[in-house]
Amino acid sequence: MSARVLAVVLAAAFGLTALPGGAPRAADPPPDIVIGSILPLTGALAQTGAGLRAAQELAVDLVNGHVSYPLPAVGHSGLPHLGHARIRIVFADSQGKPDQARVAAEELISQEHAVALIGAYTSSTTATASQVAERAGIPYLNSDSSAPGLTTRGLHWFFRTTPSDATFAANFYQFLTDVAHARKTPTLVKKIAIVGEDGLFGTGAGDAEAALGTQHGYTIATRIAYPATTTEVNAEVQRIKSAAPDAIMIASYLPDALLFMRGFKDQGVTPQAILAQDSGFIDPGFVRALGPDADGIFTRDVFSLDIKHRNHAVPLIDQLFRQRFGGKPLDGNSARDLMGVLVLADAIDRAGSTAPEAIRTALVATNIPGDHTLMPWSSIKFDAQGQNIGGAGIIEQIQDGKYETVWPFDVAVKPVIWPMPAWKH
Amino acid sequence: MNATRGHLTALAAIVAAGVAVAFGVRDQVTLELIFTFFLYAVLGQSWNWISGYAGNISFGHAIFFACGAYASGLLVTAGWSPWLAFVSGALAAIVLALLTGFPTLALRGHYFSIATIAVAALVEVTVRVAPGLNGANGFELPIRSGWSALEFADKTNYVLLALALFAAVQLATIGLERSRLGFYLRALRANYAAAESVGIDERRWKLLAFAASAVMASAAGVLYAQDTLFVDPPSVLGLSVSIDIALIGVVGGLGTLWGPAAGALVYVVLAKGVALHVGGSGKGYDLVLYGAIICVIAALRPDGIVGAIVGRQRRARGAAGPDALAAEPT
Amino acid sequence: MEALSTFGQLLVAGLLTGLVFALVAVGLTLVYGVMDVVNFAHGEFVMLAMYAGFGLALLGIGPLVGLPLVSIALFLFGIVVYRLFVRRLLAGPPEASVFGTFGLLVLMQGLAQALFTSDYRSVPNPPFQGTVQLGVFALPQAALVEGLGAIVLTAALFAFIEYSPVGRAMRAVSEDRTAATLMGIDVQRINLLAFGLGAACAGAAGALLLLSNPAFPDVGASFALTAFVVVALGGFGSIAGALLGALIVGVMEVLGGYYLSPELKLVPVYLAYLIVVLARPQGLLGRR
Repeated sequence: MSARVLAVVLAAAFGLTALPGGAPRAADPPPDIVIGSILPLTGALAQTGAGLRAAQELAVDLVNGHVSYPLPAVGHSGLPHLGHARIRIVFADSQGKPDQARVAAEELISQEHAVALIGAYTSSTTATASQVAERAGIPYLNSDSSAPGLTTRGLHWFFRTTPSDATFAANFYQFLTDVAHARKTPTLVKKIAIVGEDGLFGTGAGDAEAALGTQHGYTIATRIAYPATTTEVNAEVQRIKSAAPDAIMIASYLPDALLFMRGFKDQGVTPQAILAQDSGFIDPGFVRALGPDADGIFTRDVFSLDIKHRNHAVPLIDQLFRQRFGGKPLDGNSARDLMGVLVLADAIDRAGSTAPEAIRTALVATNIPGDHTLMPWSSIKFDAQGQNIGGAGIIEQIQDGKYETVWPFDVAVKPVIWPMPAWKH
Repeated sequence: MNATRGHLTALAAIVAAGVAVAFGVRDQVTLELIFTFFLYAVLGQSWNWISGYAGNISFGHAIFFACGAYASGLLVTAGWSPWLAFVSGALAAIVLALLTGFPTLALRGHYFSIATIAVAALVEVTVRVAPGLNGANGFELPIRSGWSALEFADKTNYVLLALALFAAVQLATIGLERSRLGFYLRALRANYAAAESVGIDERRWKLLAFAASAVMASAAGVLYAQDTLFVDPPSVLGLSVSIDIALIGVVGGLGTLWGPAAGALVYVVLAKGVALHVGGSGKGYDLVLYGAIICVIAALRPDGIVGAIVGRQRRARGAAGPDALAAEPT
Repeated sequence: MEALSTFGQLLVAGLLTGLVFALVAVGLTLVYGVMDVVNFAHGEFVMLAMYAGFGLALLGIGPLVGLPLVSIALFLFGIVVYRLFVRRLLAGPPEASVFGTFGLLVLMQGLAQALFTSDYRSVPNPPFQGTVQLGVFALPQAALVEGLGAIVLTAALFAFIEYSPVGRAMRAVSEDRTAATLMGIDVQRINLLAFGLGAACAGAAGALLLLSNPAFPDVGASFALTAFVVVALGGFGSIAGALLGALIVGVMEVLGGYYLSPELKLVPVYLAYLIVVLARPQGLLGRR
């Protein structure tokens, strides 16, 4: 008896879900141009997602506003070639999961009628969300996922402004070459240890570093991959110590970064340089926990307020962002995402139309000089695979507890301290 | 049996409703939700066979789900038909179930549960380091369309496939409840010592249930891969995936026919509903709500939604107490 | 020989690591021993303790002074959780406690994220950052303090269970609940105290772990997973078993990480668990 009741209830439940009204559909005033953004707004990355969202919303206000900055699409009260139509971003939550990102993308396309998509921070969510865009024939602009594979998939509609792991690895090696040059020696480093957590982040960085290192003639003394949630790294540190590397390239989150640095100190692992790939090493908790032992460590970053002499908009935008996001400064993630929206808005404007193919053509033709961006890039210009070839990372060194830009030399604010100082006991 | 006829009627009604919805609803997002619902219901039911009916609570069920998902990823990337993934995934799942079940199914209570966690962790490490499985990068399936590629631009066919799988699994479970295997499992769960003493071979029957449950989960994995087009260790093998599957079974009611479907409904409504309305502020309110609901159910209705209904039914019929281990089918 | 000294260093590191696992595991095994409940949210209790310790550190109270404070706070927390929630779980079928404590895990992680955000909280300028040289072995001060804490905690708990009246009552309840009731032991009260005590142990663990780990919502999960294996390996309900299991797991993890590979370092641990539990289903020192 009650089984039938249950069946009726279940059938009715389907009926109810068939009614429209999942996400509340906003009434779009005709001129608004809708961009869909997929971000991890809930789940473990919710904090990051909130920052990215704030940055994207700031970008929208800049585009729709009338205050001019040396940035693309900013200050023209909307998109001039579309009758000053305003842009609007509708956000959908990926929850940090690839299958959810897919649903989010579908929602933005089919319900919100987005003319283009941006997002989604983690490479796996970007992969699935962009596949949806590909099927629908909608442009997808990514500004914050670094897995090289995203632009080698052969997708027609996918564009990426941020550099990939391959570029970041190249940055490391260029840095080593440049430092050696500056010291008038052919090479400072021969043996490199590559360390990374075993997820997509660490593996991607490590793979790129290993491939390029071998190509440039370095010896990869050891390659360490460890479980990301590990609570000790004794064996890893010993292996690195046994390999006696001249430099250590490491991609870790904060807890493991701390474990490694303390382990290096305890076991007397003293390379000439530790080159970190962002993430845990630029977390505010890193310097706070290590104190003076953090000094001398290099980390790749994607943005720094130090580049303000390239574009005077940098500190101004930083101020605006702080007002929106609880006093937190503009960082690599927020800067990239902000720029991503601007690049997309600029392309839609140049297209003079919201037709996907027109936007795509305009994206292909994008050519923004580096000093007209917030980024330490030479330009924003996409290659045939949709990858921005003008992007690069910068390298900072922690000096006196502060992150100082030291490379490229033309944006450096402080000289390189080499080799890194001994561990304080 | 009257009860069975009732269940079959209910199933038929759901299938009919499902087909109507699959063709009638045009909103892709809603269709995706319904697809997800059926998929989770299948996963929950597959888990139910070993954890509910057999009584061995598993926290590592994702490994079987991953068999199907990875089979899809591997085969499609290598240029083979994804339909083969149903077969190869099932085979891999059976082998894995027998391999891991043979030593562990005789373990009692928590020891088994933690063994499933250990096994799942071993499988995950293996997948991460084994050559050919792409490690942390996983597989991205190419975009195709059509029945031979088992991919569709429109979600209707996905819903139909998931519905078909759901119907098959429910029928199998109805069969289980009426079969000798089901009877033996109930006896073993109620009192394994007594059951063994009358000659019921625990290992043999539980292995059978385990293998069957693995095949079901694997089939769900194939559909997942063909819909999401992306497979990697965290999304199909992680501990959180196993826990999600287990929680669906629990919320619905262990050892009940319709429990997994009820649990899947709660999960889909909650997970998506909460994310839509509460998420976006950067806080973990969605997790708080989900956790609170599980706590409430565990404390007040530990038999799960359907278990509570079934218990009340039984008491109405005058059975001796709300024991979910009573020896008659629901 | 360098290989020998490396091995020695790894062995010592493994033992110290094991002691850290023991810190987390003893509270877990105690609760199980007395009331047959695996508190799957035990890791979240540790996480809560780490946040509490962090808060105290911000007020200038160091982790060692904070330790008793945090332990007491967690004890009270455990009492409340038992009263409001766990007691009800015990009245239901055995699965209820499994899923109830899992629900608690999800709830606590969600609350931590909602209230504290997912930012990593590391203590500024923490104490015990130096290294102690013992011959050829370099021992981090923090690890030594944590290890010492583990030994003291385990010994104290063991002594309490063995020699104190309440401890004896707990042992009675864990051996035979019905008989204990008949002997006049208030089982509910014993359960309550045991759960609170288990939480207090988690509190001590968290306060010490803060010396070398930042607090964040998911930190409990990293430690708890190993703790479950440790407890099951040692035998549910056995404190000595938890210590033994923890040392074994710690040594295997570190040695496995070096001689196999860091990526595979947990493989010997899980394999060892499966082998032991198959050969000896009640764990190394467990009873049932």
